[in-house]
Amino acid sequence: MNKFIALSLTCLLTFNAQSQDWTGQEIIENINNRDDGQQVTRSFKIELTDRRGITRTEVTQGYKKYFGDQKKTVIFYKEPTNVRGTAFLTFDYADESKDDDQWLYLPALRRVRRISASDRGDYFLGTDLTYEEIKKEGKYDLSEYNTKLIGQENDNQQLLLKVELTPKTKQLSEELGYSRLITYVDPNIWMSRKIEFWDTNGNALKTIENLHITQIDGYWTVTEIAVKNHKTQHTTRMMFFDIDYKAQIRNDMFTQQQLKRGLR
Amino acid sequence: MHSNKQAFEFFSTMLSKRWIVSLPVILVFIALISGISSLQKDTSSDAFIDPLNPALVANKKIEEVFGLSDPLVIAIVNNTGTGIFTPDSLELVDWVTRTLSKQRNVDPDKIISLATESNIEGDSVGMNVEEFITSTPISNERTSWIKHAIDHFPLYQGLLVSKDHQATIVVAELLDETESSNTYHNIKKLLDDAPLGNGNKLFIAGEGAVSGYLSTYIDNDAKKLNPLAAVIITIILFICFRTLRGIILPNLIVILTAGSTLGAMALFGVDFYVITNGLVVCMIGIAVADSVHIFSQYYTEIASNPSAQRKQIVANTMANVWRPITLTTFTTMAGFLGLAVTSDMPPVIYFGLFGALSVFFAWLFSITILPILLSCLTPKLSKRFLHKSKDTVQRSSFITSVGKAILKRPHVSVWIGAILFLISLVGANQVTVDEERIANFKETEDIFIADKTINSLMDGTYYLDIFIDAKDPEALYQPEILQKIEATQRKLETLPQVGGTTSIVDYIKQMNKAINEDDETYYRIPNNPQLVAQLFLLYFSSGDPTEFEEEIDGERKLALIRANVARNKYSNNKLLVEEMSPWLAKEFSDENVTATLTGRIQVDYEWIDNLAKTNTLSVVVSILAVVIMASLLFKSAVAGFLAFIPVGLSILIIYAVMGISDIWLGVGTSMFASIAIGLGVDFAIHTIDRMKELIANSSKPWAEQLIVLYATTGRALLFNFLAIALGFGVLMTSDVPPLIKFGSLVVISVTTSFIASLAIVPSLVMLFKPKFIYK
Repeated sequence: MNKFIALSLTCLLTFNAQSQDWTGQEIIENINNRDDGQQVTRSFKIELTDRRGITRTEVTQGYKKYFGDQKKTVIFYKEPTNVRGTAFLTFDYADESKDDDQWLYLPALRRVRRISASDRGDYFLGTDLTYEEIKKEGKYDLSEYNTKLIGQENDNQQLLLKVELTPKTKQLSEELGYSRLITYVDPNIWMSRKIEFWDTNGNALKTIENLHITQIDGYWTVTEIAVKNHKTQHTTRMMFFDIDYKAQIRNDMFTQQQLKRGLR
Repeated sequence: MHSNKQAFEFFSTMLSKRWIVSLPVILVFIALISGISSLQKDTSSDAFIDPLNPALVANKKIEEVFGLSDPLVIAIVNNTGTGIFTPDSLELVDWVTRTLSKQRNVDPDKIISLATESNIEGDSVGMNVEEFITSTPISNERTSWIKHAIDHFPLYQGLLVSKDHQATIVVAELLDETESSNTYHNIKKLLDDAPLGNGNKLFIAGEGAVSGYLSTYIDNDAKKLNPLAAVIITIILFICFRTLRGIILPNLIVILTAGSTLGAMALFGVDFYVITNGLVVCMIGIAVADSVHIFSQYYTEIASNPSAQRKQIVANTMANVWRPITLTTFTTMAGFLGLAVTSDMPPVIYFGLFGALSVFFAWLFSITILPILLSCLTPKLSKRFLHKSKDTVQRSSFITSVGKAILKRPHVSVWIGAILFLISLVGANQVTVDEERIANFKETEDIFIADKTINSLMDGTYYLDIFIDAKDPEALYQPEILQKIEATQRKLETLPQVGGTTSIVDYIKQMNKAINEDDETYYRIPNNPQLVAQLFLLYFSSGDPTEFEEEIDGERKLALIRANVARNKYSNNKLLVEEMSPWLAKEFSDENVTATLTGRIQVDYEWIDNLAKTNTLSVVVSILAVVIMASLLFKSAVAGFLAFIPVGLSILIIYAVMGISDIWLGVGTSMFASIAIGLGVDFAIHTIDRMKELIANSSKPWAEQLIVLYATTGRALLFNFLAIALGFGVLMTSDVPPLIKFGSLVVISVTTSFIASLAIVPSLVMLFKPKFIYK
């Protein structure tokens, strides 16, 4: 028993020492400095559940590749049957003032249609994640947020640092659709395990949980995400598989022609 | 007058053992009244429907699936010529939307307005989904773009912006509909600070506001007038008896009766409904009636035997009146129970059951507590009864003179009654069943003006919904099913009651048009189910995942067609429902997809229709119950028939007045007949019982003997009549339409019953000399 107390005390002291080493800004910098690789190939399953508990499942194949500081992403729908072959292409530009380019290929129409640039707070492909969250992949532009380390939590013997981020301006807050967020950062891998959001009125908005994080090809990778919107009770679950950071991705994969050709 | 020795002895014993009798009665009252605070108010109209009614079940289902309820609607109206497409008006829309989203009982994610909705338009390369209002201030250029966008988005024309551009609405779903009255008032207050700008006006209406506010509206005026009714009844009691006890004790019996009945309702978990207000009036009437008879007899006894002991006087009083009071209790209870067994609307059932219970309580307190209290007081002569001893009866007042005239020419009363009956029969045939909730407000009321303004400019703030249920998931991508939905919308739009319709088909067509370079010829359902599915995916590339939640479910098997209707009036709804039901049965006859008519319009139609069907039956059964009870008590069917005449005539006259003055038989007015029975039966029973007693105990000519009826029972009935008629007649001074109707009804019903009981009933007895009277 004494041993247990001593052990707990040691853990606590260690945690304190660890958290005291970092400021909120440094923690976010560490996250932002994490290497995510230059490219990735992955399949993912999306489960969208409405407040009545009815779930719609989509299966897609995605590719992402950096071309300098420009990021190109392409997603091909495999299921459900009705949307098989539908493909979505995005060019993200590092320059924030430049709108992203987006195209969608509708096989039923046999045409690629350009779609209007999404706002940062818009929802991504019917999920509860926004374009901002998809684009930034858990990272944050420190020029836009005030950061504050507000504490720590011990979850399953795992130390999590609680960092609160608040958009610096009201306008930014309205663009993003939230007034603040708290991210629970795992200092061992510099990734968030959980993020809680509050809307512009201060009501609980949603919670993102990175349920599984594993190292693939040397990169820490989220393989399962669950998002719950507390206002609409809509939930999203994304499960990633066949993740490969090494497989070669042809550059012409990110073209309108390839959208039409599909995965053949 | 020791007509009933056993009764005298019984009451003498009771008075000598006051505590043994009064203690349990008081304890019952205390036990019941202690729970009264748990009495819940349920003023919703859904309370009137059997919870298992298919229309109500379907309505609850659409609320659950599509997250829809009866909304509150705010209109921004600008009829100065510029219309609402000005930066000022659009900024006001944005302000109202933001203000509402911060309101506690409003679902911020379910507000629909130009500030929340998006335009769907296409160009040569793709489709744009763009919010109409993205930021404020709004430039002239943006204003023109919004106007252009609405002009090319048929769905929003009439639904969101009036076709003449004079108005646009903000629709808010309420989180808790029981709070709608408070929310209406809070929002109304908030809108006082709105930056109106040039020529803009704001109006609040919508079913969410109307139904919630209506009960509070009636309640508030009733709260002001009901105490006035109590004061007037008290004044009448003072004029009748001119003693303090003659005022205080009847009021005490009213309090005991009403308190016990409402306490019993709380105990059984029964809610206080809108029509329970009518029950309170009945309770007051019944409790006052019993007291008035006891007091009249009490003062008559004192006048005839001033030197008698207090207990002897009270026992004598009770020995004389217990029988008619008990008889009226039985007959009125029978009437109320008849109402309870024939209705399937919970508030009416409880009206009947607790009405019967209140009659019992009034009787219980009147024959126990009242005499016990009277026996504690020193007998004092009432000035009004100074000369009313038996010997001087014949030279008594006005009522005796009238009585003499009636008895002298009995056929006159009977003929007048018969003619009145025939005229009323014709008038009663004119009664139409109808209901329009908004018509219950006076025409100068803000909500009335708002409702009429909004509904004259927009497609309508009331909804008839059609719930589409397909067998398989994703079935709603099938063009055939979508075409059925579209055909149903077009059918609905041919009906004059429907302003416009909405369904997922409108969005699919708009998206199809947008994806085809905004070519108008593509404003149609695509032939390919895959394209429909892909259009959704395209929309959701940046749309809120719950965006189409109000039109279609996540599995794409349930959908809603919503028809906007400008008037929620039963006669309109009936035409609409009767036209659409066979259409849906025919169009959605296969097993793959079904369609159910629902929404507020359908629910309201169902229960008013049900009310129309059961009302006649309820009245007939209630009257039959009264007749049977009276026949059994007097051991004569003729007596039952005589008891029926005043109450039957009063109901008929009420319906005739309603028919002639175009008062609908609706929710509030449907209880009129029941109240007429509750307040009216007593008069006839007292008259018959007294006549029987007078004739049986004397060998004088009937006309001579029956004169006593007028001076004694007639006089008590006159006091009873005056107290109720004048007391509740005060409601006629209200400016709230339902209360004016209610007050008039009570006056008509009590007046008819009173006159018929003292004119027609004795006249018929004079003319036909029925055996039961003298046997």
